[in-house]
Amino acid sequence: MDKFSHPDEWISALADGQLGGEAFAHAVAQACAPGSARAAWHTYHVIGDVLRSGELAGGAPAVDFVGRFQQRLVGEPRLYPEVVATAQAAAMVRPSEPNSPAANASLFRWKLVAGAACVAAAATVVLSVSGVMGVSPARGVLVQAPGAPVVAAKPALNADVAAAQAPVMIRNPRLDELLAAHRQSGGASALQMPAGFLRNATHEAPAR
Amino acid sequence: MTRMILRAAAATVCGVLWMGSALAQQAGSPVGGAAASAVSGAVETRSVSEWLVRMHEASRRRTYVGTFVVSSGAGGLSSARIWHACDGTQQIERVEALTGAPRSTFRRNDLVVTFLPESKVVHAERRESLGLFPGVLKAPEAFSFEFYAAQRGGSERVAGFDTEIVKLVPQDKLRFGYRLWSEKKSGLMVKLQTIDLDGRVLEQVAFSELQIDVPVKMDKLAQMMANTDGYRVERSEPVKTTAEAEGWLLRVPVAGFKPMGCFKRQTPGGGSGEGTVQWVFSDGLASVSLFVEAYDRQRHLQEGVMAMGATQTLLKRLGGKMGEWWLTAVGEVPAPTLEAFAQGLERRK
Repeated sequence: MDKFSHPDEWISALADGQLGGEAFAHAVAQACAPGSARAAWHTYHVIGDVLRSGELAGGAPAVDFVGRFQQRLVGEPRLYPEVVATAQAAAMVRPSEPNSPAANASLFRWKLVAGAACVAAAATVVLSVSGVMGVSPARGVLVQAPGAPVVAAKPALNADVAAAQAPVMIRNPRLDELLAAHRQSGGASALQMPAGFLRNATHEAPAR
Repeated sequence: MTRMILRAAAATVCGVLWMGSALAQQAGSPVGGAAASAVSGAVETRSVSEWLVRMHEASRRRTYVGTFVVSSGAGGLSSARIWHACDGTQQIERVEALTGAPRSTFRRNDLVVTFLPESKVVHAERRESLGLFPGVLKAPEAFSFEFYAAQRGGSERVAGFDTEIVKLVPQDKLRFGYRLWSEKKSGLMVKLQTIDLDGRVLEQVAFSELQIDVPVKMDKLAQMMANTDGYRVERSEPVKTTAEAEGWLLRVPVAGFKPMGCFKRQTPGGGSGEGTVQWVFSDGLASVSLFVEAYDRQRHLQEGVMAMGATQTLLKRLGGKMGEWWLTAVGEVPAPTLEAFAQGLERRK
């Protein structure tokens, strides 16, 4: 039984349903025996449950996580302004996006961009799982790329704001709270009824 | 004698008919009737506030059921099913979100109750702003809407109804414009677009399907609204205060915007006890909330501007002689307007 070097790898394969016959029996025996293997079995199942159901993702407050994440991001070196813009554009959910082949596929620089976009997309998934980001696809994040306009895939985004050298903006639950407060107490507009109220009732993400 | 009576009767009948037609012309389509409706930008005889009052009255008098779609210029789309009932004094609404997590929002006048079936939580809150209009429109110190002009934009058929298009054009660069599709007979808003300074649509709300004057039972909706069995009820009542009491003043007012109220809320992470102050402004159509809290190095990391549909958000650190504060300005206005508010905000001595 030298298939896996580490006992946890047996447990992982068992949890994924990859084992059969003798290998299966061996892994089950390991999981039953007291020790790190059994703890690993439990951990894998907790992870699976949390990933499948957002309600179980309790844990540390999301505000702390986002704060630490933002601090880490601030420290990261910036490659190109376009990298940041593309990464953010890729991370946003859009219902219909044109799928045209990239003319610059051969340039290494754009492979870097694509890689960064994947990292950002992964970060988005993590943030969604921890319940930070809202479900609504209409919520966008404005990127403060100095001078460079936001990548064309996002047509109506207001990129023409104060061109400060601010890093990437991340939505967080605190901002969601303030937006909800603005809708609750700040909707002093003749257009509230019915347009504003209906808009908020249709579009708003439930408060935490 | 009989002839005199007959002549008097004929004259009365003619008079009544003439008055009737004059009234009908006034109450019906604007001056110019069908001919003008085809011409964009024709002279608008109704003012901005008259159009808005008409829209509110329609909501107060008519019941309707429909499907409502919200779309932002960025491409997002959400929809909901709506039931609206009224009996002259009260209004009740039920909104079932069709997109995203299931959610039922009920409103009776200014009380809003939101049911979240997934977490079995009910949020109950009173929204003062919902009770303001149209009363404010008719009051002497009402908004003058001087910074907006009403222009006709023609006619269009939306959701099966003939509507008149009204453009509310901003007279300066501090606010957005609007395009309103008003149902011809009732004045009910069928579609509304928020337009930015470059003429792009930032956000649109519209009925994709609508039935007006259908029987909707008020008591049934009220019953559904009151039924919180199995749910945990959370109430949020922000504390009313004044900007003066909180120590803030807007040294340079932003044209057209009046302060509408000030509230105090808890800051997350508890502790400090100072809380967050929310100061609300409005120019009648657009509203701005200025959230100010004590600056916290851990949480307040980036300044900048964000856009979500028509809502712009500005994050800024306020410092110097007045202490260290963090401002989050939120409003359906262009970002430079939020910046103007940030510049004018000052601490009282």
